Amino acid sequence: MLLTVRNFQVHYASRAGMVRAVDGVDLEVPAGSIVGLVGESGCGKSTLGRALMGVLPEAARVAGGSVVFEGRELVGAAERVRRDVRWRRMSFIPQTAMNALDPVLRLRVQMLEVLMERGGFRRGEALARAEGLFRQVGLDPGRLGDYPHQFSGGMRQRASIALALALEPALVIADEPVTALDVIVQRQVLDVMRDLQARLGIAMILVTHDMAVVAYACDRVAVMYAGRIVETGLAADVLERPRHPYTMGLTHAFPDVHGGTGELVPIEGSPPVLIDPQPGCRFAARCPFAMAQCFSETPAMVDGVACWRASEAAALRVAAAMPATWARA
Amino acid sequence: MRPVIEAEGLEKVFRSGGRVVRAVQGVSLAVRAGEALGIVGESGCGKTTTARMLLRLEEPSGGRIVFEGEDITQRRGAALLPFRARAQLVFQNPFDALNPRFTIRRSLAEPLRNFGVPNEEHAARIEAVMARVRLTPTAAWLDRHPHELSGGQLQRVVLARALIPGPKLIVADEPVSMLDVSVRAGILNLLRTARDELGLAAVYISHDLALIRYVCERTLVMYLGRVVEEGPTVDLIERPLHPYTRALVAAVPVPRVEQDRAALPIKGALSDAPLAGGGCAFRDRCLQAFSRCAAEAPGLRVVEGGRKVACHLEPDMRG
Repeated sequence: MLLTVRNFQVHYASRAGMVRAVDGVDLEVPAGSIVGLVGESGCGKSTLGRALMGVLPEAARVAGGSVVFEGRELVGAAERVRRDVRWRRMSFIPQTAMNALDPVLRLRVQMLEVLMERGGFRRGEALARAEGLFRQVGLDPGRLGDYPHQFSGGMRQRASIALALALEPALVIADEPVTALDVIVQRQVLDVMRDLQARLGIAMILVTHDMAVVAYACDRVAVMYAGRIVETGLAADVLERPRHPYTMGLTHAFPDVHGGTGELVPIEGSPPVLIDPQPGCRFAARCPFAMAQCFSETPAMVDGVACWRASEAAALRVAAAMPATWARA
Repeated sequence: MRPVIEAEGLEKVFRSGGRVVRAVQGVSLAVRAGEALGIVGESGCGKTTTARMLLRLEEPSGGRIVFEGEDITQRRGAALLPFRARAQLVFQNPFDALNPRFTIRRSLAEPLRNFGVPNEEHAARIEAVMARVRLTPTAAWLDRHPHELSGGQLQRVVLARALIPGPKLIVADEPVSMLDVSVRAGILNLLRTARDELGLAAVYISHDLALIRYVCERTLVMYLGRVVEEGPTVDLIERPLHPYTRALVAAVPVPRVEQDRAALPIKGALSDAPLAGGGCAFRDRCLQAFSRCAAEAPGLRVVEGGRKVACHLEPDMRG
């Protein structure tokens, strides 16, 4: 296993108290696979992605658990180990490419910086490599001399992918890499990522709120809710036969371009505040299938799903397809 | 039945520095009561500028806008006030659409005051509109401030504020793109119900064809300022006629693992320099372009089934 995350905890300091943004996450990423990390905003998916990469904002800190990457424990590891891993073995693509790119430096300078300073390439090699990387992501190497603002949004996102791939990492963590892009560009960027996975065997964690993006690009999926993974497995299984009611809800909340025009089904309510989480399943308050037990005991992850009623999933799926099931009394 | 809004040959030219950008070129449309029209296209295609011109928030450089049978193209200032009450915009970003210092009640009363609705009618109208957007019991919401509401709740207030003057037309620019997936469906359902029950004409601007399919019977596809295809939304998605529409539809991912992953039928990128001279604006990205496409710009023509397309590949059906 390329990456094994166990009982991972990330806490945020806020005025109202300590927020358990990531609260006991288990996650596995096999080498060469694309794992979709999906959930609504505030579920902790971006925090998890950033924490794995070691690029958390000031107010957040890793509070526990284990992250084993290529056989090395990263939680509590010396900064030397972190530096060794960052960019060279594991890299990061932020949501807006402008955050990955320095606006006052030509792209060539930024590519060379990563390749020479972190990768130890000599200038000539690094230049040739930068050109090759641009070609790989579908950019004209003739534009390495441009500044980021001379690029369109899609081109900037490709450039930040090229930067993330510069040292051929084993794992790329991409935080909503296509959310801000137009649909055609979005598809082209996803195709670049799929192509790199297929040709170079690079594994990816693709953080997204969009089930259709997961379906298009990911082999595996982990559904996150209120700081925890609630369901995980092969994308084909999870999307076609979801076993957690939250996953079922997500699959019905989206319009499908080739689907019917019947009612969409919203998931009423909002996720809980994670300052002082109540015991029990965190989705219980919004779940149409919750029983008394769901409010008092936390369901463990068993066979890829954390739900007390997982054995009834087939029947719940039928009910979950009906809008009346989700309507609030 | 005459359309609520009609636009004929709308043009918008922006000049900045020495550059002239023809953002909208010859866009015509008509929307009847109870009907929803979608305008789709990528950033920079002119869809938002078109919507802003329909609402007279942007001055057209050419063309005509007719609202409920009256030409309003030349109206200015106070003469537009009755129109403003009857044609409302639903803002994209609910997080900055409302004044943070106003209570929800005040945000809803403001348009009533602006449009001269007598004070004694305010309470009843606020009550009715809050029920329509399902923020009940109203007492629980009216004295709150925007920061006390979630994104989905705010968007309901934004919709209520658009509906409260009693509009005949609503224009929504990416109405749910800022919202969480779990609440988008609720807002889209509300928009659909409001249109049906109030007999509104609606125009939706979006880059998301899946959303457009859900709310609009008819759709215009825009590319670089022009309408390239128009027709019933379902036909346009299931049997696109223009090569650009084909690429746009093919690019939308679907929430199923089994799906078409073939290369998109389009070349290059939108950022490439716009083509000079005549000819079809899409020809440099089109896989089927031929000599005529560079020589002559295709007009929007009626083809088979009453659909319209601006492409030399489609045979003219008018004979």
